[in-house]
Amino acid sequence: MTLDASISPSQSAKPTARRRWRIAAWAPLIVLVLLCGLITLINPNFMTFGNMVRISQAAMIPLVLGLGATFIILMGSIDLSVEGGLTLSAVILSMLVLNGANSNAFGMFGILIVLLVGAGVGFANGVIHVRLKIPSFMVTLGMWFVGVGAANALLGGMAIRINDPMIRSLAIERFLGFPLGVWLALFCLLIALIIQNYTRLGRYIYALGGGEDLAALSGIPVGRVRILAFTLAGVFYAVGGVLAAAQLGLGNAQIGTGRLFTTVTAVVVGGTALSGGQGSVLQTLVGVLIVVVLSNGMVLMGVPPSVQIGVQGLMIIAAVALSIDRKRMRIVK
Amino acid sequence: MNSIIDTIRTDGLRQWLPLATLILLVILVGAFQPAFLEVNTLLQLASDTAVLFILATGVTFVIMLGGIDLSIQSMASLSSVVVALTLSSLGYGAFVFAFALGALAGLLSGIAHVRLRIPSFIATLAMGGVLSSAALVISRERSITLGESERGYLGWITGTLFGIPNVVIIALIVLAIAHVLQSRTRFGRYSAAIGAGEPAAYASGVKVDRQKIIAFVLSASFAALAGIILVGRLASGSPTLASELLLPSIAAVVVGGTAITGGVGSIWRTLVGALIISVVRIGMTFLGVNIFAQNIVFGVVLVAAVAITIDRSKIPIVK
Repeated sequence: MTLDASISPSQSAKPTARRRWRIAAWAPLIVLVLLCGLITLINPNFMTFGNMVRISQAAMIPLVLGLGATFIILMGSIDLSVEGGLTLSAVILSMLVLNGANSNAFGMFGILIVLLVGAGVGFANGVIHVRLKIPSFMVTLGMWFVGVGAANALLGGMAIRINDPMIRSLAIERFLGFPLGVWLALFCLLIALIIQNYTRLGRYIYALGGGEDLAALSGIPVGRVRILAFTLAGVFYAVGGVLAAAQLGLGNAQIGTGRLFTTVTAVVVGGTALSGGQGSVLQTLVGVLIVVVLSNGMVLMGVPPSVQIGVQGLMIIAAVALSIDRKRMRIVK
Repeated sequence: MNSIIDTIRTDGLRQWLPLATLILLVILVGAFQPAFLEVNTLLQLASDTAVLFILATGVTFVIMLGGIDLSIQSMASLSSVVVALTLSSLGYGAFVFAFALGALAGLLSGIAHVRLRIPSFIATLAMGGVLSSAALVISRERSITLGESERGYLGWITGTLFGIPNVVIIALIVLAIAHVLQSRTRFGRYSAAIGAGEPAAYASGVKVDRQKIIAFVLSASFAALAGIILVGRLASGSPTLASELLLPSIAAVVVGGTAITGGVGSIWRTLVGALIISVVRIGMTFLGVNIFAQNIVFGVVLVAAVAITIDRSKIPIVK
């Protein structure tokens, strides 16, 4: 009898919990569709092919950055070093490929080095975080400024023009109407999806976010997973750096300014919970599109760009407030 | 590695380490550059540290509770813009207005953090975005230089009293107020208790939420004051005026020995930390390190100081 009483409430609670979760996962997509409909009503130019291309161009870098950050946030951690990794990568890229400042022309090999640099930055984040047991936001806050500072030290306040045709083609050449960079970003999405769904790392990341003590007890090498996830995120930021350098046609130390904010907004607006364990890279895609479509719509309506940071700030607060699972965190710091 | 950190942490050594570091640094820089130890240079150092110290003092209250405030630099910039814009019409009221705006922003951050239960680093990151957006909009993305008549209102910041720059005196008043708040009031005691163990503080009847909101109000108000001082020193306001000050401020708090996990710390330590940061900066400038590249050093110092001061027993799972 007592057994029945204890089982029945948990059984009845399960379906409702699952249903709530499903709504939480679909809500961002519904918001996106509503947003598109609303903006089209106000300004029919929104739904033209030309504007879609513009949106995809604006979305490609936030998407790549958001993919990396999603893995970190899924673990319940945070990565504030987005701008550091991106800036350092973009600046090093501009110095390695055919450019206006030195005689280097490493081309593809240069991109490879940049990806390694990104991996190195992420690896450093992960090792310091795990081995010295420092909260990730503190480590990555430091790394943010170390990265940007290093980029500044390399450049000495200059900007370096990129002349490499392959890098430039990412922004200029088109396939099916969309720039190659957009296809590169979609390729990154595919890779992130595979890592998330079909690799041990992806499953472990979810397990860590769901409950790290349980994950550790069931034999998951928690420290190694964390270091790998930060390294992976670093590689994504480096790809973001390559895309940013291609889009601007140069490398400078201000290339990352404001990107952390957009990245965090996109991930949390997509519905990935900061407490970890819930969310996916596809939701980040939706989140990125919400952020980009909204700012595109604001541009169409003539709202000054400086207002958009403020709107993003409010979006972060609203999205986090709606998605946080408060039962799991009694103490919020 | 951990055993080294443990030995540094144990006994009183850890408590005096920041002060010893400061004295050592001063002697070191003085040995290379004897002019550094002259009274005028030291007063200049104190004036240059004032803004950093005020920002760091505000954020100390939040860190004592175990939270963080990443919006102080945006608040200081916004405050500088508000003062620069309203000084001609409001006179001295402009300072009060900017200060009140700071308190209001802190109240909003605190409410977002406490009522909506959003982690403080994300709530203040978002609030920082809102504030810097507001600063950009009202300044029309330009820096605002003050006219000759408006500069007349800045005497209390730019002047000197018995040969001591007023900025230093303001910083000392801030130090006194903050010290009293921290060590002589209920708020101060409760903050330390919450930082040391929130569930215990909650269970013994401390109104945790209220203390947290007060801490965020103090942090943003002090940031607004720092913005006001910056206007006085530079005779202009700009939406990006203080954006380089977030990292040094947090580094000052942590380097001084206040633990990022909360519970351990004091305003005195923050003063020592802010002076260390200033001396290190002067030392680096003396060595010819690029001012932007100095952020590399501050980033590393920040992480190292956190590694030494953090209380790992309080965070079984480090996220």
